[in-house]
Amino acid sequence: MRKTSTTIVLAGLAVLVAAVPLLAHHAFGAEFDRDAPIRLQGPVVRLEWVNPHAWIHIEITKEDGTTEVWMVEGGTPNTLLRRGLRRDCLAVGTEIIVDGYQTKDHSLTRANGRDVTFTDGTKIFLGSSGTGAPYEEELLRERAAQGRC
Amino acid sequence: MRSSASILTLALMAVAAGPLATQALGQATGWVMPRTADGRPDLQGNWTNATMTPIQRPEGVGLALPVDEVERREQGRWDRIQRGAEASDPDREAPPVGGDGSTGAAGGVGGYNNFWIDAGNQVAMYNGEYRSSLIVDPPDGRYPPRTEAARARIAERRAVRRQHGQYDNPENRPLAERCILSFGSNGGPPMLPNYFYNNNYTIVQTPDHIMIMTEMVHDVRIIRIGTPNPLPGEIEPYFGDSWGHWEGDTLVVETMNYHPTQIAQVGVFAGTSKDLKVTERFTRADENTINYEFTMEDPSTWTETWSGEVPFKRLPGQVYEYACHEGNYALFNVLSGARAQERRDNGR
Amino acid sequence: MSSHRTPLLTASGASLVALLVSALVPSAAEAQIPRGADGRPDLNGLWQALGNAHWDIEPHQARAALQLQEGPLTPVPAKAVLSFGAVGSVPAGLGVVVGGEIPYLPEARARRIENQALWSERDPEIKCYLPGVPRATYMPYPFQIFQSAQAFFIAYEYASAVRNVYMEDPGPPQVDSWMGQSVGHWEGDTFVVVANGFNDQTWFDRAGNHHSYQMVVTERYTMTSPYHIMYEATIEDELTFTRPWTIRMPLYKHVAENARLGQFKCVEFVEELMYGELRKRPIGSGDGR
Repeated sequence: MRKTSTTIVLAGLAVLVAAVPLLAHHAFGAEFDRDAPIRLQGPVVRLEWVNPHAWIHIEITKEDGTTEVWMVEGGTPNTLLRRGLRRDCLAVGTEIIVDGYQTKDHSLTRANGRDVTFTDGTKIFLGSSGTGAPYEEELLRERAAQGRC
Repeated sequence: MRSSASILTLALMAVAAGPLATQALGQATGWVMPRTADGRPDLQGNWTNATMTPIQRPEGVGLALPVDEVERREQGRWDRIQRGAEASDPDREAPPVGGDGSTGAAGGVGGYNNFWIDAGNQVAMYNGEYRSSLIVDPPDGRYPPRTEAARARIAERRAVRRQHGQYDNPENRPLAERCILSFGSNGGPPMLPNYFYNNNYTIVQTPDHIMIMTEMVHDVRIIRIGTPNPLPGEIEPYFGDSWGHWEGDTLVVETMNYHPTQIAQVGVFAGTSKDLKVTERFTRADENTINYEFTMEDPSTWTETWSGEVPFKRLPGQVYEYACHEGNYALFNVLSGARAQERRDNGR
Repeated sequence: MSSHRTPLLTASGASLVALLVSALVPSAAEAQIPRGADGRPDLNGLWQALGNAHWDIEPHQARAALQLQEGPLTPVPAKAVLSFGAVGSVPAGLGVVVGGEIPYLPEARARRIENQALWSERDPEIKCYLPGVPRATYMPYPFQIFQSAQAFFIAYEYASAVRNVYMEDPGPPQVDSWMGQSVGHWEGDTFVVVANGFNDQTWFDRAGNHHSYQMVVTERYTMTSPYHIMYEATIEDELTFTRPWTIRMPLYKHVAENARLGQFKCVEFVEELMYGELRKRPIGSGDGR
C-alpha cells in the first residue's frame, strides 16, 4: 500500500498549538511552483549544511542520457546537529529519492525537499522528541547499525 | 506509548516550584541557587523556550490544563513525530500538479520533511502548573484590546505595505525571510518561541552586563546593569535599548527605543508606538529552569498593561551558528520566482 | 687564580636578582590589570584595533583604491569604486604579519592577486557576510568581551558577528561555519583560543588575502595594561600556505563613559546591491518608480 509521506501540515495540529503567524517563516508557496512537481532520483553530489536552509545537490540522468544537478531545499541543520548529525551522515555518492516542486523560476534546477528518502523509502534523517523515549532509542540503534543517522 | 509516569513525576517535582517557594523546594530537594562571584543568581548557560503552549489562549479554556489533557496533546505531538519517521514508498511518483493540499507555511507544496522541525514537544509548565497560554494577564489569556490610535497605526502601516505587491521588493518580504531577524519574536524582547525550531539562547553574565544571544539570527542583546543612561532618541536599535537591575534574586530588565521596522512587522508589537516599554523578569527557579515574565506597556496602544510567563528550560546541547544571510538562496528564489511568474502571466 | 676581591654580585648574579625582584614586585602597569574572582586577567570590556590591518594585513604603500584598472600611465580606480574618490583609497600600513609577508603557496598567491582584481565581486565584507577569524578582531568596529568564571563570549559590532569560546572542547565541528568553533584555555595570564571548522569563504582583509576550510587559528590574548591587550593569531593551513604564520597587534579599550557596542546589522543595507535587479521595477529602469 502506498504511504503518503508525512510533511509539515501545520494547520492540522491540535488546537493548542499556535497558528503560524502570516509574517513568520517564509512561505514555501512563495518560492516553489505547485504546478511544477518533480521526482528526482540519483546520487548526492554536494551537501550545503547552511542556514536558513540546507541544500542537497543531487545529480539526475535525463532521458537523453545527459546529467543535470538539482538543488533540494531542506531545513536548518542546527536541529539535526543537536540530534547528533555528523559529517559522514549523508555521504556524497549516496543515492536518494526526492519528491517536491520546482522553484517558480524554472530556469533554476531547484526544488523543495518535500520528501527526501533513501532508495528503500526510509527517511534520510529522523526527527526526535528530545525526550529519549524507548521507541526512539531503538530506532536510532537500528539505523546506527545500518550506518545511518 | 509515552509513559504517563514521567509526566506525573514532573508534576510532583514541580509542585512546589516558584520564586517564593524556591527556597522551600531547595530544602526539599537539596537544590541550592547557583550564584556568581558577586552573589547574584547565576542565569548562565544555554536555554530554550520551545513549547507547544501558544502565546494566546484559545477561548473558553482556563490557564491551568489538567494532566490528562496535557498527556493527550503531548501524545498527539509524539504520534506525529513517529508518523514522520515512517518510511515512504520508494516507488512514489511526483506529487500532484496543482499542489498537494498542504496548508499554512507548507504552502501547497508540502514544505519539507518533519525531521527538520523541532517545535517543542511539551506543554509549558510554570510553577508546577501546565499552561494553556503564555499570556497570563489579561486573565482570559488573550491580547487586550487596542486603542483607536493603535488601530490607526496598523491601518497606516498596512496601507504603506499595500502600495506594493508582496513580492515586488526585498523590503516587502518578512524580516525573517530577509535574514534580518528571526521569525516570531525570538529576540524580542519579549523573547517568545517561534513554534518551528532553534528556540535557543546563550546567556553570559558579569557583574555589570547580561549578554543574551538568540540562536536566530545570532543576535545579541546587551543588558547593562545599573542606572540607565538611555540612547538618544535618534538611535533605535532592533531589540531596543535594555537596562537591568536586581530586585532580590530577580533580574528586572526594561527596554525602550525599539527599531520602527521591528515594531511595524513583528506580530506581538502590532500597533505600538515609540513609547513602547517592555519589562522582563528573570528568576532562576531550579537547576533546569528560568522563570521568565514579561510585561508590555504602551498607553497609546493598550489601555492596560499585559503580561506573560514563559519557562526557559536548560538546553541539552549547543547553540550553533545560524549564518542566515550568507546562505539565503530562498530570498533570491522567491524574488526571481515572482519575476518569472509575472513573465509567464504576461505571456513572455 | 685571581687575587681580586670577589664582587658582592657578579654580572649574571645581578641580573638574576633583578629577575627575582621583578617577579615579586609587579611593574606599575601589571599591578593594575583587573582580575576576576578566579585571579585571571579580566578582559571584560569594549575593545577595538587601531591601524590599517582591515585594509591589508601586509606592509603596503597607500594606493588609489581596492580595485584598480589600467590607466594610461598608472593604475586608476576601477569603475566599481570610482565614485568613492579618496574615501575609497587605501592608506599605507606597516603590516601586522610577523616577518612581513604571508607565505602563500604559488596557486594561493595567484588567487590573492585575482581577488584584488575582482575585489568588488569577491570581498565578503561588501555583502555584509560574517567576517571570520581573525578578521573580525580588527574590523574597524568595536567588539565586546563578556568573561565570567564559566564563559568567554565575544560580540562584534560588525554584522552582529559572535563567538562563544567554549571552555570545554565539544569535539570536532560537524559542519563548517563562518566564525568557526572556538575552544579556549588559560596559559598563565594569556587566554589562548584555538578555532577551526571554518568554511573557505572569509578573507583576512580587504586586500584579497584568503584561506581554505582547513585553516586553524590559534589566538593569544594577553593584557599588558588595563587598557591594552596584545593580540596574536597564528594561522595554519597547509592547503594555502607553506608554513604557519602569525599576525600581532595591540587592542585598545574604549574608555568614554557612555561607550557601548553599537548595532550594525548591515544585511538590509546590501539588499539593493544584491537584489536590486530582482525588483519588480528595478530602480533607474525608467519605470517611473
